[in-house]
Amino acid sequence: MEGASYQRFPKIKIREVKDDFMKFELRDTDASIANALRRIMIAEVPTIAIDLVEIEVNSSVLNDEFISHRLGLVPLTSERAMSMRFSRDCDACDGDGQCEYCSVEFYLRVKCLSDQTLDVTSKDLLSSDHTVVPVDYSDASSSFDNTPNKGIIIVKLRRGQELRLRAIARKGIGKDHAKWSPAATVTFMYEPEIYINEDMMESLSLEEKTELVESSPTKVFGIDPENKQVIVVDPEAYTYDDEVLKKAEAMGKPGVVEIHAREDSFIFTVETTGAVKASQLVLNAIEVLKQKLDAVRLSDDTVEADDQFGELGAHMRGG
Amino acid sequence: MGYDSTMSNTTEDSNQGIDKQHLASHIKNLVDKYQLVPEFLKVRGLVKQHLDSFNYFVRTEIKKIVRANQEIRSTLDPNIYLRYRDVHIGEPSMVFDAVTEKLSPQKCRLSDRTYAAPIYVTIDYTTGSHGQTSVSTKKNVIIGRMPIMLRSSCCVLYGKDEDELARLGECPLDPGGYFVIKGTEKVILIQEQLSKNRIIIDTDKKGSVQASVTSSTEKTKSKTIIKMEKEKVYLELNMFKTKVPIMVVMKAMGMESDQEVVQMIGRDPRFSALLLPSIEECADLKLYTQQQALEFLESDKMLKMPSYSTGPIEKGARALSILRDIFLANVPVHQHNFRKKCIYVAVMMRRMMEAILNKDAMDDKDYVGNKRLELSGQLLSLLFEDLFKTMNDEARRTIDTLLARPSRSSRLDISQYIIKDSITMGLERTLSTGNWDVKRFRMHRKGMTQVVARLSYIGSLGHMTKISPQFEKSRKVSGPRALQPSQFGMLCPCDTPEGEACGLVKNLALMTHVTTDEDERPIMSLCYCLGVEDLEQLSPEELHMPTSYLITLNGLILGKHKSPQRFANAMRRLRRAGKVGEFVSIFVNEKQRCVYIASDGGRVCRPLVIADKGVSRIKEHHMSELRDGVRDFDSFLKDGLIEYLDVNEENNTLIALYEKEATPETTHIEIEPFTILGVCAGLIPYPHHNQSPRNTYQCAMGKQAMGNIAYNQLNRMDGLLYLLVYPQRPLLTTRTIELVGYDKLGAGQNATVAVMSYSGYDIEDAIVMNKSSLDRGFGRCIVMKKYSAICQKYENGTSDRIIKPQRQGPEADRMQILDDDGMAAPGETIRNHDIYINKESPTVTRTPVTSPMGLPDSAYKSSKQTYKGPEGETAVVDRVALYSDRNNNLSIKFMIRHTRRPELGDKFSSRHGQKGVCGTIVQQEDFPFSERGICPDLIMNPHGFPSRMTVGKMIELLGSKAGVSCGRFHYGSAFGEPSGHADTVDAISETLVKHGFSYNGKDFIYSGITGMPLQAYIFMGPIYYQKLKHMVVDKMHARGSGPRVMMTRQPTEGRSRNGGLRVGEMERDCLIAYGASMLIYERLMISSDPFEVQVCRKCGLLGYYNYKLKTGICSMCKNGENISTMKLPYACKLLFQELQSMNIVPRLKLAEA
Repeated sequence: MEGASYQRFPKIKIREVKDDFMKFELRDTDASIANALRRIMIAEVPTIAIDLVEIEVNSSVLNDEFISHRLGLVPLTSERAMSMRFSRDCDACDGDGQCEYCSVEFYLRVKCLSDQTLDVTSKDLLSSDHTVVPVDYSDASSSFDNTPNKGIIIVKLRRGQELRLRAIARKGIGKDHAKWSPAATVTFMYEPEIYINEDMMESLSLEEKTELVESSPTKVFGIDPENKQVIVVDPEAYTYDDEVLKKAEAMGKPGVVEIHAREDSFIFTVETTGAVKASQLVLNAIEVLKQKLDAVRLSDDTVEADDQFGELGAHMRGG
Repeated sequence: MGYDSTMSNTTEDSNQGIDKQHLASHIKNLVDKYQLVPEFLKVRGLVKQHLDSFNYFVRTEIKKIVRANQEIRSTLDPNIYLRYRDVHIGEPSMVFDAVTEKLSPQKCRLSDRTYAAPIYVTIDYTTGSHGQTSVSTKKNVIIGRMPIMLRSSCCVLYGKDEDELARLGECPLDPGGYFVIKGTEKVILIQEQLSKNRIIIDTDKKGSVQASVTSSTEKTKSKTIIKMEKEKVYLELNMFKTKVPIMVVMKAMGMESDQEVVQMIGRDPRFSALLLPSIEECADLKLYTQQQALEFLESDKMLKMPSYSTGPIEKGARALSILRDIFLANVPVHQHNFRKKCIYVAVMMRRMMEAILNKDAMDDKDYVGNKRLELSGQLLSLLFEDLFKTMNDEARRTIDTLLARPSRSSRLDISQYIIKDSITMGLERTLSTGNWDVKRFRMHRKGMTQVVARLSYIGSLGHMTKISPQFEKSRKVSGPRALQPSQFGMLCPCDTPEGEACGLVKNLALMTHVTTDEDERPIMSLCYCLGVEDLEQLSPEELHMPTSYLITLNGLILGKHKSPQRFANAMRRLRRAGKVGEFVSIFVNEKQRCVYIASDGGRVCRPLVIADKGVSRIKEHHMSELRDGVRDFDSFLKDGLIEYLDVNEENNTLIALYEKEATPETTHIEIEPFTILGVCAGLIPYPHHNQSPRNTYQCAMGKQAMGNIAYNQLNRMDGLLYLLVYPQRPLLTTRTIELVGYDKLGAGQNATVAVMSYSGYDIEDAIVMNKSSLDRGFGRCIVMKKYSAICQKYENGTSDRIIKPQRQGPEADRMQILDDDGMAAPGETIRNHDIYINKESPTVTRTPVTSPMGLPDSAYKSSKQTYKGPEGETAVVDRVALYSDRNNNLSIKFMIRHTRRPELGDKFSSRHGQKGVCGTIVQQEDFPFSERGICPDLIMNPHGFPSRMTVGKMIELLGSKAGVSCGRFHYGSAFGEPSGHADTVDAISETLVKHGFSYNGKDFIYSGITGMPLQAYIFMGPIYYQKLKHMVVDKMHARGSGPRVMMTRQPTEGRSRNGGLRVGEMERDCLIAYGASMLIYERLMISSDPFEVQVCRKCGLLGYYNYKLKTGICSMCKNGENISTMKLPYACKLLFQELQSMNIVPRLKLAEA
């Protein structure tokens, strides 16, 4: 396994972090790593979600499966998820997945007694574990909204209707069901490099410049109000739509603007459902990725590794 | 409605519907008449034609029928009689245990009853007999129960608002127009027919020109044909054995002078020349006088039915009565004055001769103006009349037999002998079977009613507008199937089924109205007032003067008029002023030199804006009055701004599509062009950008789409119910969608579609779906199925019983889901073979038993009902409903619910006739994504576009994409771009660019598998997708060994019987050709029906195996010496035996193999 080393030292530069949103740059690596990170964030970072619902009374308009499905999709705070056990691997319970190590119990008991429609929301879910609760979406910053934030509506009840149920939440990953996916949006883009050929640009009149600037559907270019130069306002707004290049060509000035994608640097946008913090999601994803690589490495001398990884296993053993 | 692309008020746009404020803000100087469409639909409704027809029947027609048959008078004693004075229909109700109970449609649907109301009559009748009679009057006598059309004037739902409807358990969006018969909803399909009482010129099979009239009066129906054969004119009437020379008929009607006949037809020498051979023929027969002609007609060789009348009647009287009553029955004859009929025949001949001389004068049978639509009211009135007459005849007969009897104990009370069941049962039976059998008119029509399609809301709406043809479907002519130009605006050009009924079954357009009958007497007198010269006063010579036109009212010639155009204008002015009914049509036919006035029922017509010299009568202030609610559609009609035109009158008009296109010659302006489409085609966005058959396909598929059915869908007990878990309204709507309420009861979801190739599992229109989308509820549906059980009461007083389930024992496992009352509990998971009702039936049900209610347990046998569902599917008992049915038996209905998520092979479709199955389901992380993080819900292969040419789908994608970006629903109404009811691609692109998308809807996309950008830009955006009812779980089928048919011992057929997969003739041929003999042997015998037979080598017949002697024995040879054992298909053995049973002896000759 001697020879050229492909080892690189990827760098992350965090641009913006909020609870459920994060934007960072990933540099000095290639698409496979970036994509692996993205895929893991979507599908393999564990969270906790309601998986089993025992309905005691349901006189609402929605049927049992309907409500169960809605309950399953309610995001639960899952900071504990990484350390929790999958109920299938849990040895504390005999595989029924109802022990405290691998599950969290929820109760929902609502009955509408007033003439007004009662909204049953995720806030009505009573958790047995204070660390695993439905995600609170009330935004502290928006003080002006006077309507009390009520969480995610599960069902609406009219007078006399009742909903009583017990729900078991378990750990799982997004690959099994989207309800366990902590990611709302995980996406990345190649960082664009934009060169403006100043000399050629000078040959354009101001109208032509504005025309060129406005040909891009997103605001990538602008015109400096002082010296009437075309400048790059926001390179990342560029959506690789080629509109500017096409325009330049149509104007008979191909090469006035050149845009290249930097193949070793990526701009990630991560938005979570609220189950874990966006920053935590990235860390967890890296953790999962490491675990997966460890799994590959640790199984290097086992026979199963050959079955499991085939040529790759042999390769890792240095063959 | 004139959206300008700047979208000044996007916030307002989000609450769409018909926002009057919002509409007001957009009016341009050209008057926007769109608002008239919702106004029209408010007044007329989507199924108004059914309701109008039924209301007319209930209010007017039924009274006419009763008045026409008002008397039952005994034939033996004319003093004994019963007279109906008045008739009206009460409130829907039923008598249950002698208590009258009011009915609501929902109650009837749930408890399998008929939604019917009593028919009340007031009667005068005599009591007593033999001279001692006294007359008494009875009010509110019930003569039967009339099934009531929902939302008609007799229905409890009539005029109710949304709240009241909800209280009655009814969906406010349900259009009504159907009946509830024994719990099932039945529509009477609109029947398409050739017009009655009109002269139609066409050719017969041999190609000879004929003029035919199908006469229809209250009394008789007949068909009269006058045709040219071998240069002579003949009459064909089914009362006569052969064709009758027309001159004989004319003579028999009193036209003894040949000259007069020639004059009546017209003095054009060409006509006379055509008539000459006929005149000569008559002369050859030596018939000169009326009497001679009548006697000739009465002779045995002419008349079909021999006279079986008792006494010798006057010679010629029978022929005369045929000519009077059956021949052209629609032309009335007063006091043996046949003149009008003669003129009618002359006009028929003239038109026929014109057609011979000039083929253009031939009538087009497929022309919509020559068609009449028969609606439920007319059909019911036919039926009711027949039943009413039968009932009266029956009553008369009973009274006569009673009177004939020498001694009676009680006083004769004629009112006792009206049996009301015959009408009730007759109506109910006809409506539930759909077989119209009216013997008097020799009418035997099948399949007139259908169960309302409740698969989707649009399906049931479309069902009400369906028009079924009278022709048989097998005919291979293209004419009736082709789209007729005259269908414009009346019948939907898109909505027709594929296959054998293509083009024959049609659907009404959005604004079509079907007329009901209108009294013609006032119109007739009005015509005479306006200067129509009566026929009676005219000499034959004057009939066809070049300066005058004939005036015809409902096919009856009234007279002639010197200046037809002035007459027509005057009539139209009267109609616009409301002096004549708004649906009366005045049509000047210049070619035939006739003015046709029509007031009969069944004509299709539509409203149009009147224009004077190309200037619309509707001005801006009218529309603002409409928006302010001061005006309604009827006031537009009353003020003569709008009028209804039928197909014929449309020929006298010049209609401009928009006011700006109007020229001084323009007489009318269309209200909105998208109204030429029907309800189903109205759902398609941008249909005018699609290839025409695609719209037709969508019309068929929209009816199979799952979604919401009605607001009361969960309270209904339909046999099969498909619901979508999260239905949405389309992002790209049309005006029709809002008008019919599809935005409230949608049947589909807005899916983000990427048009690209992915994975290879997308060939042949298959789509690739995103697993996470499915996890989140895309395409998730609920299927509910009804299972019912009846606790029968038997004639000996015994009845079924439902008993407590066994909690222990062998059956206990299958009875888990039963409650203590022996019925499945709602909410329980039901598995295959589970018992859902633990019922027992008495063994003896016919012969009387001592204590019917206290039978011992041994007298019952089990009749449990078990659920048979697919293995592995978890279905749930949704609801259990108990009610007593019409025979007072306890009935139990179980709704079994199953929630399904889309799987491989489920069928989906967009709104552009682009159906496809789910080819594979892919994890979200493998799906392509954009840098905004958008990940499609499904991927469609681009090969679906070039050959289908569904440009509308692409515009839908663009429009929806712009819609989600800017937060305003975009519109795509048919032909809507000029009037602003459809957003233009330019405006959409502008919106897209404003929100940072490419103007062409394409996005830069990364592969989810590699993370690398894709080579091409991908056309991506939301498209409204429908999930169709065809799902794999309902269809997949495989079998190893399984059940066999008793008789042939071969495997059963069909999925429902767990049947085998047949190796058919063609498959067999392939195997033979290939030479795979052992495979054939296995498939056709070993796996099918092997059977061991004993064959006698000597006689070649089949023997049997004697188990005692352990040998085969030939029953023919009576020994077991020459027996061989061999294998045969059981079907073969069966064939031999069947042959033997008909005296054919098949013998087997065995040879060593």
